[in-house]
Amino acid sequence: MDQSEIDALLAGGAKSPKKPEVSAPVKDPVPVPPPVTAASHAEPHADGSGHVISELDTVTAVTERESNKVMDQLDQIGQLVNRQQLLITQIMAHEGAQAPGMQKVIHEVMSAGKEIQDKVFEAMDLMQFQDITRQKLERILHHLRQIHDYIVDLLGTGLKSDTQRPSISHTIAQTGTTPDENKAHADAVIEAFKSQKKG
Amino acid sequence: MKILIVDDSSTMRRIIINTLSRIGYTDVVEGDNGKSGLERLGQGGVEMIITDWNMPEMDGLEFVKTVRVQNPVIPILMVTTNAAKEDIVEALQAGVNNYVVKPFTPETLKEKIESLLG
Repeated sequence: MDQSEIDALLAGGAKSPKKPEVSAPVKDPVPVPPPVTAASHAEPHADGSGHVISELDTVTAVTERESNKVMDQLDQIGQLVNRQQLLITQIMAHEGAQAPGMQKVIHEVMSAGKEIQDKVFEAMDLMQFQDITRQKLERILHHLRQIHDYIVDLLGTGLKSDTQRPSISHTIAQTGTTPDENKAHADAVIEAFKSQKKG
Repeated sequence: MKILIVDDSSTMRRIIINTLSRIGYTDVVEGDNGKSGLERLGQGGVEMIITDWNMPEMDGLEFVKTVRVQNPVIPILMVTTNAAKEDIVEALQAGVNNYVVKPFTPETLKEKIESLLG
C-alpha cells in the first residue's frame, strides 16, 4: 500500500460510518423516510456501508497487487538460482574442478540450489491464501451489500449497490488454507457422479 | 498444447501458470472472467481449459455451460474454493471433466491434468 492509499484510507476512516439499525425492524414502527433529495441520490452510500465496501475493495485490490510483487521477487530468486546452476555447470568443465574435493563442494552447491528452487516454488504455491482470503472478504462484502440494500428498501432512499461483482462461494467459510484438505472429498463426489452416470 | 486459464485473481493465474510450466506446459493463454475466456477461446488453438468458478461478469459455471454448447469435447478442469458436494455435482453436470478445490498442491493439479489428457 503506498502513501496516497494510506492517506485516502485514513481520510475515509475519520468518518464514522453510521451503524445500520437492523434490530427488530418488524416490531418497530415504520421509520419515517428522510426527504429524498438530489444529494441522497448523488451519495448512494450515505449510510456508510458503501464506505466500508469500498475500503474492503481497496484491501483486496492492494493485497492482490502486493502478492504479485512477492511473486515477482520469488520469480527473480528462481531465475538467479537457475543462473547460478548454469555458472556451476560451466565451472565443472574446468580442469581444476575435477579434483575430488572440488567435485564434492560443487555437488553440495548444486543440491543447495535445487533446494532453494523447491522452496521458491513452495512459497509461490502458498500464495493461494491471497485468493482464498479475497473470496472470504467478497462473502463479507456480499452480506454488507445485502444489509445496505435492505436499508435502502426500508427507507426508500439512496441507491442499491452495484451488481457487477464476482459470484461468491457459499461454502468458503469452511475453506482452510491447507492444500488439498478437500481433495479426498471432491474425488469421492466425482467418482460417485461418474459411476451414477455410467449406471 | 495450448491451455486456457480463466481466473479473476492474477495471483492465482500466476500460480497455475508456474505449476504448469514445471510439468512441461508453457503455452498458456489467460482470461479474467468467463466473457474474456470465451473471447480467448474464440481465437482458436486452445486444447484444454482450467477455470475458476467465482468471477465477475460471467462466472465459471456459466462459462462452462456456454463452452459446452460450442465444444462438447474440450477437457475442462474447474479449480475453485467451492467445496460443497452440491457445487461439485453442479459443475460436473454443467460439463466440467474434473474438479480441484483450492488450495491445491502442484501434484494434485498435475494428476488432474494428466488424467484429463491421458
